[in-house]
Amino acid sequence: MTEALATPPQKQLAADKTSLITGSEAIAVACKLADVDVITAYPIRPYDTVMQYVAKLVSNGELDCEYIVAESEHSQFEIVKHASAVGARVFCGSSGVGWMYAFEALTVTPALRIPMVAMVGNRALDDPGAFGVEHNDALAVRDLGWQLVWVDSAQEALDTALIAYRVAEDRRIFLPCAISCDGAFLTHSQALVKVPSQEKVKAFLPRYDRGDLLLHPDNPITVAPQVNEDWLMEIRRQTAAAMDRSPAVIREAYADFERIFGRSYGNPFFEEYQTEDADVVLVGMGTLSNPVRVAIRQMRQEGKKVGFVRVRWFRPFAAEELAATLGRFKAVGVIDRDFSLGSPYRSGVLATEVRAAMYPAPNRPPIVGFICGLGGREVTVPAVREMTESVYLAAEGTTQPGTKWIGLRE
Amino acid sequence: MNAFLAPNDYKSPLKPIWCPGCGDYGVLQALYRALSAVGRPPHEIAFISGIGCSSRIPGYTTAYGFNTLHGRALPIAQGVKLANPDLLVIVAGGDGDGFSIGGGHVPHVIRRNVDLTYLVMDNQVYGLTKGQLSPTSPRGLKTVTSPMGSLEQPINPLLTVLAYGAGFVAQATPADMPGMTALIEEAIRYPGFSFVNIQSPCITFGEEDQQLKAHKARMKPLASLGHDPANQLAALDLARAYGTELYTGVFYRNPSPPPTYDALVRQRQVELQKGEPRSRSRVLDGYLKA
Repeated sequence: MTEALATPPQKQLAADKTSLITGSEAIAVACKLADVDVITAYPIRPYDTVMQYVAKLVSNGELDCEYIVAESEHSQFEIVKHASAVGARVFCGSSGVGWMYAFEALTVTPALRIPMVAMVGNRALDDPGAFGVEHNDALAVRDLGWQLVWVDSAQEALDTALIAYRVAEDRRIFLPCAISCDGAFLTHSQALVKVPSQEKVKAFLPRYDRGDLLLHPDNPITVAPQVNEDWLMEIRRQTAAAMDRSPAVIREAYADFERIFGRSYGNPFFEEYQTEDADVVLVGMGTLSNPVRVAIRQMRQEGKKVGFVRVRWFRPFAAEELAATLGRFKAVGVIDRDFSLGSPYRSGVLATEVRAAMYPAPNRPPIVGFICGLGGREVTVPAVREMTESVYLAAEGTTQPGTKWIGLRE
Repeated sequence: MNAFLAPNDYKSPLKPIWCPGCGDYGVLQALYRALSAVGRPPHEIAFISGIGCSSRIPGYTTAYGFNTLHGRALPIAQGVKLANPDLLVIVAGGDGDGFSIGGGHVPHVIRRNVDLTYLVMDNQVYGLTKGQLSPTSPRGLKTVTSPMGSLEQPINPLLTVLAYGAGFVAQATPADMPGMTALIEEAIRYPGFSFVNIQSPCITFGEEDQQLKAHKARMKPLASLGHDPANQLAALDLARAYGTELYTGVFYRNPSPPPTYDALVRQRQVELQKGEPRSRSRVLDGYLKA
């Protein structure tokens, strides 16, 4: 008889601490926990709050990193890109037009397989000027190899930043990851956040090891060579293959996160709210989840079976899984806090992606696109009810326009 | 000939939203007075700015205004001036806009010598985003992004533009309103690129020794030192004291201003219109083998 192996005693890791912090501060705390080596900054609202919290952590001696306030966003992103190439764990971030000013650097970062983690404090693009949230800034890099994730709470911001390092720096991936936090609604709102112990983070997040891709005199390699038509396509395909491997690595990271931190996010790619028995659902990203949840609770009391699907990871996009889920309902409404002018059905970016994902699915309920809450305008509970009415009409067979602008003065 | 225009004719109904006590209020008043002295009507003036507290200034005037992107005021102003050289084009912004994110444009506008007046409201801090380190922040300055003090040497705007070859370089402070008004007027009247570094204190995030009261005590008019504004070498030497001494007045005025870019463009247009127009056959003959 073989003796059963005794389970080794589970090592007790230090408990979480609870702090009242904003979404931006949660990201800065994650930088501290991840022991980031190089951070660069350039002020633009609402992202600038992160750089202030980081500066405070550095000055208090809580975070030992090189912290450089660059002369512009372009230099800001270039500095960390190269720091990462020589083996440093890096953090960067911006908002709106600041993010756009760094666009040249943003383009080459995934192409060079740099696992940068960035925070985008989502902000409307000029002009006209507005400080409020709109998702077009982060979405602008959606085709380039950036992994893009949207969070809706300070807790999720902190946790996702740790997960982002784990995924981005995985040797199978080596692609950057941008965490989108809605300007003001998340960057500036305080909430109680469980801050995990350094010990737990250490158990979750291995050291950044660039391996054979490390730029070092002992490892002479060429970064960013001129390859022209001879090799460009093969290199592009390698970047695409890395993105294709990303979903499995994301799943692994969330499973490990749950094991070590004891907090579960369920399906990493999208979160379902009251969808079990729902007739119709709304789909959206970011903090509009809050008014949507409130409105759904109200409508449920009135007997309307409405659910909500909050998309977290936009890149990689969980197309098959999302299509299978959305196929369960009689109609789907997609709320975009962005615009994509001249796109199919004049929809926002998310609605266009959802429609593309649904095309090969066996069940294809009608889809109504909504553009709402641009430039920081609030997505209100009555607005959510108005959108739901339209989705119900679509479910009943009344043709709805491809896209409706909600909460617009006309 | 235009009728007399009073300073208030350049004042828009929009009320400034700067913090009470901001140096930019003084700059705005001096600007109204200088524009009135120059006498060009508001519709012949284009006021271009970037992003920052000081870049709000075009909206507070009755001139045409364009509040552009962060750091991009100078290229846009050059476009405006070249499209309509008859306009009086004034560019305004802060030290971050001009010497950090937009710093790359400064040498090129100077070497092109486009006839613009560039007013930089230098407050040594990013005020609009609530007090981060800026390119002119002195070494050791404690800000929200440098709680232990800045490690970097600041940019010296005066030395920088002088070294790039600007034809008119001056420094002013709202602590001396008549002096600042006269300098802005002189800068506008200078035929070519002119630059005025205005020490405009940030009342909210600025240092105590950078406020108007301190300026009043510290400022030294260059005229009183016997400085000759035609002496470029002496100007460079004096400009080195940026950050330690507060010199006001004209550092350098080119005694024989070179032609401006817009004037050269006009001259070339006239030259091209002289002589035989290029006929179609003449153009095609150019492709024939010799």
